[in-house]
Amino acid sequence: MLDRIGVDSIRDLFADIPADFHLQPGSLKLPRALHEAGIVRKFTRAAAANRHAGDTRCFLGGGTYHHFVPAVVDYVISRGEFLTAYTPYQPEIAQGTLQALFEFQTMIARLTGMEVANASMYDAATGVAEAALMARRITRRQRVVMAGSVNSRYRDVTRNYLARLDGETVEVPCAKFATDPDAVIAALDGDTACVIIQFPDFHGHVFDVAPLRAACDARGILLVIAFSDAALFGELTPPGELGADIAVGSGQSLGVPMGFGGPHIGLFACRQKFVRQMPGRVCGMTRDRDGKRGFVLTLSTREQHIRREKATSNICSNQGLMCTANATYLSLMGDQGLAAVARRSIAALARLTGHLPAGVEAAAGARAHETVLSFADRETRDRFLAIALQRDIFAGIPLEHFEPDTEPRHLLVSTTEMIEAGDIDDYHAALQEALL
Amino acid sequence: MTDDYSGVSGMQHEEALLFEHAHEAATPISLPGIDAELPDALNGFRRSRQAGIPGLSEPESVRHFVRLSQWNHSIETGFYPLGSCTMKYNPRVNEQLARLPGLAQLHPDQPEESVQGVLELLYELQQWLGEITGLAHVTLTPAAGAHGELAGIMMIRAYHDARGDRRRRTVLVPDSAHGTNPASAALAGMQTIEIKSAANGRIDLDELRSRLNDEVAALMLTNPNTTGMFESDIAEICRLVHEAGGLVYGDGANLNALVGVARPGDMGIDCLHINVHKTFSTPHGGGGPGTGPVAVNDTLAPFLPVPKLVRENNTIRIVHRDERSIGSIFGSIGQTGVLLRATAYIAAFGRDALHRIAEDAVLNANYILARLKDAYHVPFPGLCKHECLLTDEKQERHGVKTLDIAKRLIDLGFHPMTVYFPLIVHGAMLIEPTESESRETIDRFCDAMLEIARQCEAGDTEALHQAPLMPIRRRLDETLAARKPVLVWPED
Repeated sequence: MLDRIGVDSIRDLFADIPADFHLQPGSLKLPRALHEAGIVRKFTRAAAANRHAGDTRCFLGGGTYHHFVPAVVDYVISRGEFLTAYTPYQPEIAQGTLQALFEFQTMIARLTGMEVANASMYDAATGVAEAALMARRITRRQRVVMAGSVNSRYRDVTRNYLARLDGETVEVPCAKFATDPDAVIAALDGDTACVIIQFPDFHGHVFDVAPLRAACDARGILLVIAFSDAALFGELTPPGELGADIAVGSGQSLGVPMGFGGPHIGLFACRQKFVRQMPGRVCGMTRDRDGKRGFVLTLSTREQHIRREKATSNICSNQGLMCTANATYLSLMGDQGLAAVARRSIAALARLTGHLPAGVEAAAGARAHETVLSFADRETRDRFLAIALQRDIFAGIPLEHFEPDTEPRHLLVSTTEMIEAGDIDDYHAALQEALL
Repeated sequence: MTDDYSGVSGMQHEEALLFEHAHEAATPISLPGIDAELPDALNGFRRSRQAGIPGLSEPESVRHFVRLSQWNHSIETGFYPLGSCTMKYNPRVNEQLARLPGLAQLHPDQPEESVQGVLELLYELQQWLGEITGLAHVTLTPAAGAHGELAGIMMIRAYHDARGDRRRRTVLVPDSAHGTNPASAALAGMQTIEIKSAANGRIDLDELRSRLNDEVAALMLTNPNTTGMFESDIAEICRLVHEAGGLVYGDGANLNALVGVARPGDMGIDCLHINVHKTFSTPHGGGGPGTGPVAVNDTLAPFLPVPKLVRENNTIRIVHRDERSIGSIFGSIGQTGVLLRATAYIAAFGRDALHRIAEDAVLNANYILARLKDAYHVPFPGLCKHECLLTDEKQERHGVKTLDIAKRLIDLGFHPMTVYFPLIVHGAMLIEPTESESRETIDRFCDAMLEIARQCEAGDTEALHQAPLMPIRRRLDETLAARKPVLVWPED
């Protein structure tokens, strides 16, 4: 090959790199090469040093949930044809990915009750930020209002994305771990582009959205509804029925493992009339030369590779494989399975909070599968966490991990269909011991 | 028609949409947990009607998605020479490792002491990426290359602001750059100015000098650039930008040409994102997930996003708050599953063999260039790095365009190269073979390209205009799709 190129050595191919910058082979401070067996050993040991949800009882939520994932989902996304394909820029030889994306978009639109969905954002937090940017483009207004009961990580990222652009971002403080629609409405004005709420909210609170929708209508404000667990809409009112203009949240619950923070998937759905302002890739239906139905990436004139600095978003790589995971999961669940996942997730929390011992209190108001438990002090709470962990229970997330200004005596607790009745008995027993 | 086209056999199935499957599963899927009705308090919050998600039996669902998968070209099916995309083989062991329950089943908010194993692997990757790039401080958080660009430009802006230099709001972007560069700069609230490339496809130093002033925050630069050529003036470019008070952002999309051979940090680049789904072989998944860690020098280190991984004694801690940080850009510490695959990939090469990645990638690309340079127009002659750029100038005389060549390659059993990018040449064809491919595969690809060129010369172009004929679908009408977008299947 070198002869054909007309050079003597491979290093001659790097002659255009100034000699000063050439590294001596082997000089990097990296470990020696490992053979495959060595890598497996290294990772197996590292994995063994962690406690994981597979052999514990996981009551952790806050945007990431331990739902059941049928084996088929991982099988499908392990297939090399899905796993090792690129973005479907040559549609004739990517119809598999494209049809799966079209099915994904359809099912996400139906599940969220919205008209259209895109082919994913990185995660819920960046998705919420993109929703705010999109609302600013549509309304040509710059002010963004967020309820303080939206997941703090979604708010942090959104605030940060908006911080370098003109316009005000307002956060309405949250009291009693609940959403107060009146307080949110009071923060709206005629310059507001959108209001962002979460449903159910970060603390699991479920509330009447209708007054907020009416207030938005009166002032031409877009309603953005964020969500952290899409599976709940198998039973609960989806954002579309609540009147959302944009629905954005996490699809991790739909067949994606928790994976220590990713890869997850951001779902993004909106009204059909807004599609040309939407961020990210979308797949659309069309015909081929022979008139057969087929699918392509479309509306690319919104995107960075065409529009460059005027694009609706800078997003290029998205969470494509997770779309296929979501689509596979949804096809196995169907309406009935999803409704059962939602009901069981909610039922487990109701059972948990229904019989709490004295000394611990659950937040008031209607809750879906997540709530806040409050203890007398940090010491009691942390004693409970330690006792529970000894019994293989991850009992909750100290709330100050999300909301640093809160008193360090609260616990964010979440349940899914993976929690059995016996797990809740054990949870109660650990509580009782900690509260003695 | 050659008989080695990989996607065609007598058993090529049509497959209906999920919504057209008449047969829903007789019994719904069996689930764990507590079966109960919705609590009374939630009765007013039921959805008014079912969503319309079809529930298939397990075998029906498997068959549906397996059939769909068979309509895809992939790295595991065949050659995939997409320029600037680095479609290398994705080692299977990495898939196995990322799925270990002790890694895949971790909640991101577990107590730190219960996740030290995974934190150790991530911290190690952070150190390795710092060493490989020559930029010691690394964030693993950005979810993709473009997300890394955003984080990088935010850091550069924060650096200037911290010095009280708030006028620096301009980012210079060469006209050959990926579209994400200007889009990311705009998202960080910056103005972009395009730098015209010189006649040799590289940065024009005079043009650069004329654009530098006290409003320039940064130059965004891809090196090797998107024509596949190394910017040999890199030291001078960095010196000029630094002298004018700006910083140099490196787009690491083409790091596969340099890995183990030379380090962007040594050349004067201040900040670089790494597409681990390119250089470090994590699978592309039909569009993602990627991940775009950013490596920076001491100048920018204080501004890295949170959360940060920090070693204290023998423990790795996750630091969520830091006053000088640009703040939070993602909902978690990062796409751990992707990052772990990259860790495993680097571990397999280690210091002994990492340079062979770049060496073999560059060898393969130059070999393709040598074989094709007479049959196709080469806009910028000379050595290439990990990819080579051709155009359709010679074929256009025969009425054949880059698009026809690309589609004909499909019929001959290959995924096309990147087409019509970079934008600075007409009818671009950017070919990146990567180090994974054997000489035999590369020769067969070159043979196919030469056959196409011969057909053009001979005026035998009908097959080119008709292509592709072999896949499940022929050329698709993109105008129709965009004019009246149908993004979801209508309900019955």
